[in-house]
Amino acid sequence: MSRVENQDAESSVDAILRARAKALARVPESGSARGSVLEVLKFQLGEERYAVASKYVVEVHPLVDLAPLPCTPAFLRGIVNVRGRVTPVIDIKQFFDLPDQGLTDLHRIILVRDSDLEIGLLADVVIGVTPIEADALLPTLATLTGIRAEYLLGVTADRMTVLDVARMLADSRLIVDQEVNS
Amino acid sequence: MMKWSVGTKIASGFALMVLILVIVGIVVFASTNALIDSSRARQRAYEALRGISETFSLVKDVEIGARSYALNGQPESLQPYRAALEQIAAHVRDARNWMKNNSQQQQLDRLERLIQQRIAKADEIIRARDTHGLQGAADLVNSGAMDDIRSLIQEIEQQENTALETYVEATIAQADSALKTILLGTIAAAVLSTLVAFLITRNISIPLQQLTRVAEQLTVGKLSVVIPQERRSDEVGVLMHAFDRLTQSMRTMANAAEQIASGDLRTTVSPQSDEDTLGNAFARMSGNLNDQIRELVEGANVLGAAASEIVATTSQLATTANETAAAVSETTTTVEEVRQTARLATEKAKLVADAAEASMQASESGRQSADSVVASIERVRQQMDVIAAGMIRLSEQSQAIGQIIAMVDDIASQSNLLAVNAAIEAAKAGEHGKGFAVVAHEVKSLADQSRQATSQVRTILTDIQKATSAAVMATDEGGKVVESGARETATAAASLQTLANNASESAQAAVQIAASNQQQLVGVDQVAGAMESIRQASTQNVASAKQLEVAARNVNELGQRLKKIVDNYRI
Repeated sequence: MSRVENQDAESSVDAILRARAKALARVPESGSARGSVLEVLKFQLGEERYAVASKYVVEVHPLVDLAPLPCTPAFLRGIVNVRGRVTPVIDIKQFFDLPDQGLTDLHRIILVRDSDLEIGLLADVVIGVTPIEADALLPTLATLTGIRAEYLLGVTADRMTVLDVARMLADSRLIVDQEVNS
Repeated sequence: MMKWSVGTKIASGFALMVLILVIVGIVVFASTNALIDSSRARQRAYEALRGISETFSLVKDVEIGARSYALNGQPESLQPYRAALEQIAAHVRDARNWMKNNSQQQQLDRLERLIQQRIAKADEIIRARDTHGLQGAADLVNSGAMDDIRSLIQEIEQQENTALETYVEATIAQADSALKTILLGTIAAAVLSTLVAFLITRNISIPLQQLTRVAEQLTVGKLSVVIPQERRSDEVGVLMHAFDRLTQSMRTMANAAEQIASGDLRTTVSPQSDEDTLGNAFARMSGNLNDQIRELVEGANVLGAAASEIVATTSQLATTANETAAAVSETTTTVEEVRQTARLATEKAKLVADAAEASMQASESGRQSADSVVASIERVRQQMDVIAAGMIRLSEQSQAIGQIIAMVDDIASQSNLLAVNAAIEAAKAGEHGKGFAVVAHEVKSLADQSRQATSQVRTILTDIQKATSAAVMATDEGGKVVESGARETATAAASLQTLANNASESAQAAVQIAASNQQQLVGVDQVAGAMESIRQASTQNVASAKQLEVAARNVNELGQRLKKIVDNYRI
């Protein structure tokens, strides 16, 4: 009985080792050989995965010392001090109507910059940098309209939404210029 | 002859006998005297002869001595000579004593003279031997001899022998006459004695024999005996007359007794005299008998009535004794049952006592076990305390581990972030940053593995904490359980103690019960023994009552018979 189980375990371990060896033996698809390769930073919002092009990313920073700003739109969570720079933190869940789950120390801030504008995007979990093929990006879904459609660059085959940082930063709606009537 | 009394007859017979004896005695005395005289004369003759011959012998000795001296001249040869000289005179005197008549005396005188001469000659020979020697003595010896002496002595001896023969003849004649007298006297005495004895015996013993026969017949009770009637005035005649009167008196008594025997008590017996013991006794007996028979009649009547009552009573008694015996038998059986029950109870009590003893021991051991259990539980409780302390420590350690894990997680998270930033920087560097991108990827992978590991550790720690909590709770619960167990055990020990005490009391009670039962058994045994005795006694009572009944019936019959007997008497 135990011998049979051992054999089964050995066979399963064998299968796993084979699979790994096969995966390692596979020649990685080089972007140069397949056209343009886009390096993206993957992160998670709720249960959905998103990505931004890594060329806009300055760095990833843990969410500390968030100072909320009064009299600001809901997407502007507050400001943080990153190496002496005061940076606004944008919660893009508000844009995509994702459920807000509160803020913890585990949240990360992805600092993105285009030209001289630098903002922090609030992310639940940062997954990592991975290369994707720009040609393999699918066009946005027809169901996405408005701001979502404007900020999307495309969707990968494995249902990862790639955001267009340049267009987002160029959007004037992010600029808050509002006066409070006393 | 018939007029003489018996004593006179016997005396005259004896007198005749004595007379004959006296005559015979006188004759025998005279004959014997004569015999003694002749015997003495013979004795004298013998003695005289002996004296003469001895004298002659001595004279010869004198002669021989003198001659011997003459021959050898030795003084020792004179010894018989001197001895004879001394004795000769004495012997001559002796002979003279035995020969008294004159002729004999004269002869003796002559003999004496001759002897003197002879002795004188012997002296002469001896002197001659001394003076003249052998030759002179021999001359003297040859001259003269002893012939005259020898002839005289022979003469004397002849005379004496003649006298002796005369004496012997006379003696024989006297002895013959004495013998004849004795023989004739004896025969005469025998014949006369026989005759007289025959006559007297015939005259006395025959009538006495007749009377003896009569007396024997009277002794055996034959009163019809006939007394021979003889006209005799002596003692035998008186005796016969007395026997006749005795017989008549006894006949009278016998007739009266016959009448009394036939039941006629009216007879009166008149005693012959005041000293008539038998007659008086008979008269008294008759009177007493009369009275006694009268009383006997009354007694028989009373006895009959009493015997009837006794019969009735004994019948009742027998019935009652039977009932008593039955009751006693039942009681005995009951007592036996009680005894069996008591014995059973005793055995049971012993069993109970043993069981109580066993349970006492068991409870005692149980109590000890409970004590040891209490001690064990106390140890378990201490162990539980130690375990609880260990659990608390474990919990604290788990807390510390959790903090460390959080720290490691934080470090992993920062490493992850650092890897991401490194990857971004590598991406910015373009072709030059590819190697760095690989490194960043590896770092990220390590950070991820660290996070996974910490996650696993956290899961494990959570499990550990849960388990620890559960263990703490379980320990707490265990402690409580142990506490309650200790309490329960203490209670159980107390209960066991109580149980042991109760068992001890039960054992003692059972022992007391066993002892009491034993005593009861002994008592019941005694009661059984007593009941057995009573039963035997009652059985004997029944037998006795039956015997009594039989005896009473016998008494009743006796009374009836007595009545019948008494009815025969005429008073």
